[in-house]
Amino acid sequence: MSSPDFSPVTVIGGGIAGATSAIALSRHGFPVTLIDEQPAAGGQIFRAPSPYARQTVPPNHEFSGGDALRQKLAASPVDVRFSTRVWGLSSTLTLDLIGPGGIDQLPPSTVVVANGATERFLPFQGWTTPRITGLAGASILMRNGGTLPGQTVVVAGSGPLLFSVAHQVLELGGKVVAIVDAGHRSDWFRLGAMLSLDPARLTQATRWMLRLRKAGIPIHHRAHISAAQETETGLLLTVSEMDHPERRHVYAAEAAACGYGLKPTTLITRTAGVQHRHDPAGGYLEPVTDAAGRTSRPDLYVTGDAAGIRGMAVARLRGLITAHAIAQDRGVISARTYETLTRAPRRQLRRLEAVSRQMLPLMNAGSAIPTHLQNETIVCRCERVKAATLRSAIEAGAEDLNQLKAWTRCGMGPCQGRMCEDSARGLLTAACGNTPEEAGSFTARMPFFPLPLTAVTGTFAYSDIPLPKAAPL
Amino acid sequence: MTPALQTRPDVFDTVIVGAGVMGATTALFLARGGQKVALVDRQDMFRAASGVNAGTLTLHMTRAQLIPHAIRGREMWLDSANWLGEDVGALATPGLSMAFTEAEEELLRQRARVRQDMGAPIEVVSPKEAVRIEPGVNPALRAAAYCALDGHIPTYRVGGAYARALRQAGVTIIENSPVETITPATGGGYDVRVSSRARPVHGRRIVLSTGAWLEKMLGWLGYNIPIRCLINQLVVTETLPPVMGSVLSIANGLLSLKQFANGSVLIGGGWQGEGNIHQGGTRVIPENLRGNVRLAQYVVPRLDEAQVLRVWLGLESETPDAMPLIGALTPDDDAFVVGCVHSGFTSGPYMGRLLAERILGGNPDLSAFDPTRFSTPAATGPQS
Ligand SMILES: Cc1cc2nc3c(=O)[nH]c(=O)nc-3n(C[C@H](O)[C@H](O)[C@H](O)COP(=O)(O)OP(=O)(O)OC[C@H]3O[C@@H](n4cnc5c(N)ncnc54)[C@H](O)[C@@H]3O)c2cc1C
Repeated sequence: MSSPDFSPVTVIGGGIAGATSAIALSRHGFPVTLIDEQPAAGGQIFRAPSPYARQTVPPNHEFSGGDALRQKLAASPVDVRFSTRVWGLSSTLTLDLIGPGGIDQLPPSTVVVANGATERFLPFQGWTTPRITGLAGASILMRNGGTLPGQTVVVAGSGPLLFSVAHQVLELGGKVVAIVDAGHRSDWFRLGAMLSLDPARLTQATRWMLRLRKAGIPIHHRAHISAAQETETGLLLTVSEMDHPERRHVYAAEAAACGYGLKPTTLITRTAGVQHRHDPAGGYLEPVTDAAGRTSRPDLYVTGDAAGIRGMAVARLRGLITAHAIAQDRGVISARTYETLTRAPRRQLRRLEAVSRQMLPLMNAGSAIPTHLQNETIVCRCERVKAATLRSAIEAGAEDLNQLKAWTRCGMGPCQGRMCEDSARGLLTAACGNTPEEAGSFTARMPFFPLPLTAVTGTFAYSDIPLPKAAPL
Repeated sequence: MTPALQTRPDVFDTVIVGAGVMGATTALFLARGGQKVALVDRQDMFRAASGVNAGTLTLHMTRAQLIPHAIRGREMWLDSANWLGEDVGALATPGLSMAFTEAEEELLRQRARVRQDMGAPIEVVSPKEAVRIEPGVNPALRAAAYCALDGHIPTYRVGGAYARALRQAGVTIIENSPVETITPATGGGYDVRVSSRARPVHGRRIVLSTGAWLEKMLGWLGYNIPIRCLINQLVVTETLPPVMGSVLSIANGLLSLKQFANGSVLIGGGWQGEGNIHQGGTRVIPENLRGNVRLAQYVVPRLDEAQVLRVWLGLESETPDAMPLIGALTPDDDAFVVGCVHSGFTSGPYMGRLLAERILGGNPDLSAFDPTRFSTPAATGPQS
């Protein structure tokens, strides 16, 4: 074994995967820096409740799990940087940060990307009307802020978050008007059968479903919100059946929460230039990783949902295994020790992997929706680009996502395509018969989110500006 | 060309390599002049300099000798509905170039004089007058050069407009097809081998318009011209309420600043990043990002309210004398080049049209751009 290399490791993301990994890495003796944009660790599932919350849903295993993780992290020597975001990185993995102290840089280090998932959103006519939120956004509002998106809510989209959010609305005393699911009913039965492998999830799912059934909430499968209209008291939502578009149901509600499953957050990994692939089951791009989170770059690892959506239990196991793999790669532990340390988590992982993968098609059940977008529907909210504009650019010869972006500005705005990329790709592949790989994905550009200009400039005098030599006359 | 050749799908009057503004404009006017034209690009069209540039239509930053061409190019952009088939949104505005120190003022006056001599309607005005023309500028300035002929164009609208015009004119567009070799064909003309096709594309003549990648390709034809690649940085802000209405620059030419119709402000001026044209990939140099943005904020103080939305880098090419390469490469008049034009987006449509005119038998004055001025070809015939 070569002599151990204890140079620093930086973990981006303090959710379950990142925090678990950071703690384990510091136990191996690495100097570890953990960066997270939240004011505390916990990520999406274990997010700490807001101190300003009106009320919180009754304490549950998620909050106590989060508290335990935060305590462990606080007791560890991990250098934590909260309220800090990575806005750029160099080819050598220098990280550009912005935090409470302004702009800062971290010198190159081994980086563990654990920045989790982004919700997939698919547009419909009128979706930019106020009081329409994402499922994940609604969930944060309720679980951490104790606030309902509305007293009456239509919950729509696909994947398990549908039922979780519906359940949260009931917990806070709201009314779920309808649940609109793009998935097949039979897909859920198939998942139910698999859940015997994951008893914790099974118990929870059964509890949710019984409660929703008891409340008499209509559930539409193979359906989606096709239009929203603002009224004096809230929204009128049209629900269309995917296999019988002529069959429509109209619901009045104060708010709608809508989301089509999760996808890995890839701005950082794409900028770092590691290999990615399209996962057809999940319908998303993910970095190519081995079971321990190794990528095509030796100084970059990806763990948790950022490596492919598998959920909370898998995220913890992946975080742990990645930390041990880094220890092995750096010569801190032997291959044998790695095997021993990871035997139990790897076994658990194999069992959970099957269940988690079963979730992917459920989350991706809306994949055909962008094909039928009405011309008038806004696809890119930041730049207000409509489906018709995209279709005419495609007709003029824009056959990949970046040419489409260049010609229409779709995806050029502040959100950098997080909201519109999936629908733009869906539209493109349907229109010219491309595969998702051929359609590609928007080139990631820095800064990853808007930065205050004064944070870039700082205080300065004119004479501080290093003016280059004059341009040729 | 014999009728038999004419009907073969991979045989063309002219094959143009490089689909930026130079190559695409040449293609458009050749096709309209009756030629059968193929336009080849290694990626999608208009994705290099011509797709990522700042869209400034200024005379303050153009090389003095190119001012007559820039004026014509600017006019063409403002008139795009009439020759390109759609209005791409070019906007005429005033332009101001500013001086904040004594040295800059001297440079400003000297450069204004030279540009005036070349036909640019530039006059040096007092700080008070400059603030009247552009209330957004820092009143700390010492002097400004004012030009009524300035403006900008939303670059992103140009590529799609060209694609439609080219198709309508009957140009065969071959995208995502890097040209790997160009060899003289037996019986005349050239075989252009592209990665995406088994058989080469044959042209009775060729035009090279590959921008920053010209050096290597000129080498295939025996020309050894060192071409410098500039890696220009651009910074765009989120949309803002109106903070400025003209195109702003500084005396040494290293700032271009304007606010587009949608409210976003674009900061450029040729500050450099890092990159390698052969391996691809570019990288922002943090000090240059900060310097460029500081300069912009100094010139328009209200930019302190802005948020930086995005930073990107694009590749521009420059010859040893910083003058363009436009004209014939061979005595047989069957190989041409167009490129390395300073502020080439502004004059691009005009330069491309000139070359098309030349190829179609006209006699425009291209003597200042003669590509043979640096060296005579190492070998008489092209080589692969
Ligand atoms: C960041 C930036 C800002 C600028 N701002 C301005 C401005 O504000 N105003 C202004 O007037 N000018 C500006 N310019 C300059 C202007 O953009 C260029 O002068 C002009 O676009 C050059 O056009 P071109 O057609 O010569 O080259 P390009 O647009 O670069 O086109 C060359 C084409 O050749 C293709 N190619 C390369 N190799 C091969 C191969 N082997 N096979 C096939 N195809 C190949 C490339 O893919 C590319 O499409 C700016 C330039 C940059 C980079």
